[in-house]
Amino acid sequence: MNETTHDAMRELTGLYALGALDAAERREFESHLMSCSACAAEVRALGGVAGALPYALPQVDPPPALRDRILGTAVSTRIRPEPRQSAELRQPVDRPAAFGAGWLAAAALLVVAVGLGAYAVSLRERLSGIEGRLAEALARLNQSEQQVAVAVRSVEAAEARLTLLTAPDLLQVNLAGQPPAPQARGRAFLSRARGLLFAANALPPLPAGRIYQLWYLTPAAPVSAGLLQPDAGGQVVAAFQPPANTVVPAGFAVSIEPDGGVPAPTGALYLAGMTMTQ
Amino acid sequence: MWLLWAVVDVSGLSAADQAAVTRMARGDHDALAEVYDRHGRLVYSLALRILKDQSDAEDVVQEVFSQAWQQAARYQTGRGAVVAWLMNMARSRAIDRLRRRRTQPQSPLDQETAADVPDAAVPVDEQVAWAGRAAVIRGALEDLPLLQRMAIELAFYEGLTHVEIAERLEVPLGTVKTRIRQGLLKLRDRLAGAT
Repeated sequence: MNETTHDAMRELTGLYALGALDAAERREFESHLMSCSACAAEVRALGGVAGALPYALPQVDPPPALRDRILGTAVSTRIRPEPRQSAELRQPVDRPAAFGAGWLAAAALLVVAVGLGAYAVSLRERLSGIEGRLAEALARLNQSEQQVAVAVRSVEAAEARLTLLTAPDLLQVNLAGQPPAPQARGRAFLSRARGLLFAANALPPLPAGRIYQLWYLTPAAPVSAGLLQPDAGGQVVAAFQPPANTVVPAGFAVSIEPDGGVPAPTGALYLAGMTMTQ
Repeated sequence: MWLLWAVVDVSGLSAADQAAVTRMARGDHDALAEVYDRHGRLVYSLALRILKDQSDAEDVVQEVFSQAWQQAARYQTGRGAVVAWLMNMARSRAIDRLRRRRTQPQSPLDQETAADVPDAAVPVDEQVAWAGRAAVIRGALEDLPLLQRMAIELAFYEGLTHVEIAERLEVPLGTVKTRIRQGLLKLRDRLAGAT
């Protein structure tokens, strides 16, 4: 017996002990068993375990009438001591017409319990599949909601800008590139009621630790309107609330400043434009 | 199943059962009553578990004790415990009925008699020992991973082959083999540890 066959056969000890091999497999396994004491010992042990299984079953008393039937049949049957005869009693069974409700209930419970056991396994597997799909769906829903929120915000922003751009008191200021960025252009739209929108393009990339800052140019001193972070192409569009109590500014300017901004301009001017009086 | 008879452990023979079967072989009806009173409940519970039908289970119990009565003379004391002999008959007959009852197309196995299982070597003939053992076996079964337990029960109580078990549990064939063997080995270890 080579080792591979032995290992393959050894896998079958449990199935054999439970009678779960088909006929051909069983014959093959039994011929292996003849020559393999290790497998025979395992079959013996596992067979004992299998034989012990019914002890774990809920024990149900058979109806008393069954005892009478069995003993009555035995009395009326002559024992044939001839050891090779194999005929078995197959007499029609005389059954009571009605069963007690308790028996029916017990039998029904058994059926239910057994069915539930098998069903529970398949349910559990299905449930975990469904849970997985549900989590996936929730994740997608969450993502969709986030996308909707982003879209709503961008629509709101667009509407706010449209509202601003149609304001009766709209003031538009064009800003021209200054010596550090002669190509840069900017535009500021200001409504005292509806806010400030600022757009610029061709702003040079910012060095690390620096930011562009937009200023209202008032008669007294420049007042910060906010910070500008252009994209890789040097473009920026940003909306701001105008500072409270501002008069119509004389103009706008953009300077380069340390990150976080400063209360008053310190760096070079990149854009500047004056308000046209109408 | 000669081979199985040969490998069955005889250490747990119940002397009282053996004596009763010897008396049955001589035509002693009281001996049959004694064996029935001792094991009828277990045989009936097993048949009921397999068939899930009270009248079918009763038929099986009647057939088993009739067969035991008829074949008492052939029963040899080296075969194994009497209770194991009875349960083996009950399981074979109940599973045969189960297979006849199934409406699916017959597989080759269905035409044959259900395979016998090796007889139990468990010496149980006292109610006290029984109750303790039943609790141990039940506990050990409950501690098994669910699929191991399911596979074992489908084989033992439903008479399914490993191919059918694999289909029923939707797992690969190799998994069924491994789970059944591992499950039984675990049960053996638990039962061995408990005695």
